[in-house]
Amino acid sequence: MIWLELDIMRRALLGCVLAGFLTGLMGVFVVRMRLSAIGYSMSHGAFAGAALGVATSANPLVTAMFFASATAFLIGPIADKARLHVDTITSIIFPLNMALAFVFLTLTPEIGLTSQVASVLWGSIISLTNSDVVYLVTLCAATVSVIHFVWKELFSIMFNRKLAEADGISTKPFIYLIIFLSGIVVTLSLKLVGGLLIYALLFNPASSALQFLEDMRKIIIASPLIGVATNLSGLMVSLYLDLPVGSCIVLVSTIIFTIAVLLSPKRRRKMENDKNRYCAA
Amino acid sequence: MTYAKTAIRLEDVSTVYEGESRPAIRDVNLTLEENELVYVVGPNASGKTTLLETINGLLPTFKGRVSVFGLDVQTQGRRVRCEIGYVPQDFMVEPGEPYTAFDIVMMGGYGKIGILNRPNERNRERALEAMRLLDIEGLAHRPLGKLSGGQQQKVMIARALTKEPRVLLLDEPFSNLDPESKEKIPSLISRLHEEEGLTTLIVTHEVHSMLKSCRRVVVMNNGRILADGAPEKALGKWGTSS
Repeated sequence: MIWLELDIMRRALLGCVLAGFLTGLMGVFVVRMRLSAIGYSMSHGAFAGAALGVATSANPLVTAMFFASATAFLIGPIADKARLHVDTITSIIFPLNMALAFVFLTLTPEIGLTSQVASVLWGSIISLTNSDVVYLVTLCAATVSVIHFVWKELFSIMFNRKLAEADGISTKPFIYLIIFLSGIVVTLSLKLVGGLLIYALLFNPASSALQFLEDMRKIIIASPLIGVATNLSGLMVSLYLDLPVGSCIVLVSTIIFTIAVLLSPKRRRKMENDKNRYCAA
Repeated sequence: MTYAKTAIRLEDVSTVYEGESRPAIRDVNLTLEENELVYVVGPNASGKTTLLETINGLLPTFKGRVSVFGLDVQTQGRRVRCEIGYVPQDFMVEPGEPYTAFDIVMMGGYGKIGILNRPNERNRERALEAMRLLDIEGLAHRPLGKLSGGQQQKVMIARALTKEPRVLLLDEPFSNLDPESKEKIPSLISRLHEEEGLTTLIVTHEVHSMLKSCRRVVVMNNGRILADGAPEKALGKWGTSS
């Protein structure tokens, strides 16, 4: 294929593989530790931060990372101080980040919907630079190493946080570690699908893997693979139909999740159990 | 002359759940010597579970001091919890839970193994031994969610034993068991208590299951200790108050 010879396409393919792997991997922890609300608030925080970077001519990557981390780390303490449920706080912060993003983008009208703004909104895989790929490779290596070293603690917290705590594991630092890593993964993957759709990449592969597999070790391998397959398929569909890459990736991942739910042996078993319980009653 | 070492001490302890103004337990004073076996009974919402979660530091105390083997639970909670085997009340998982029974039993020792250390052959052998004690060794590689309520309950007890604790806190450990296990498990706990010198605190509403093995009963009501002493005397006091 001729297009594979183009640097731009090679970077796009690498970006799809690396970001798919990372979001698929982190998604398992985010879903199992029930951090989904924090996950989508954080991804929109990254979006608002990138918008601020574009508006102020600062590096959007740095501002996105700052906003994503700030969002993630503020939610818990605010909820604790205000004595409100985390869900309430995330419901407030999620639209706040969206509003801030649009305010930042319209504060500087000369920018308008330039390619830079569009890449923050919907992603722009062709704008991936060699540095972006190097960042993603480094992040992949760092994330896999960190998870390898603290796997038994994460494995235990994913089962039940309270029991892990009762067994003598201080769970808070590990939860913060996952939030922090997810924030960086989301920020570095923004160029792939953009701030509006990025959280689908975090949740869909993990949720699909959880439908089929009954061993957490297999899930932690399958989810990144689903993430990679989804991104590559989305890229191909986008090239073939000449549609935005980010939207195609999210559409493909939603189709995979729907098929997983329809064919899920776990779901079928649960339905049978419910039916039996109903009949017995 | 030998003196028994204090295993658990609660001094004027009150615990309030977040968002609530009324303490779930109030002004509780309780001391358990090392190697003591004590049952806690009382009506629903009398503070029995709160008492256990206060002892292992899962709930912060609003007032008073809790110590386990001299360690303050609020300041050295992690160290304390490494010495406590805890079985929570009515713990059941969904059928699709992606963990095997052996995974869950192994997890019991993870806190004690310590961060960055990997479980070794001895840890695995200890987990299998705990499963063997409860006759569930054959279920080791079955998904937890596919086990019956009683089998899951035994997995949770094995999990608590894996870390080789000095204290056992068991919250309604006999609740989901079949009749045969209901006879067997209390005797096993008594045996472990005697052979391994475990200080054991058991919350139960099944008064008949404890009478054979127990010398001390604590009766709770409305978050306070109503009676503390020999079973007949303490339960008699509970009977007259209710």
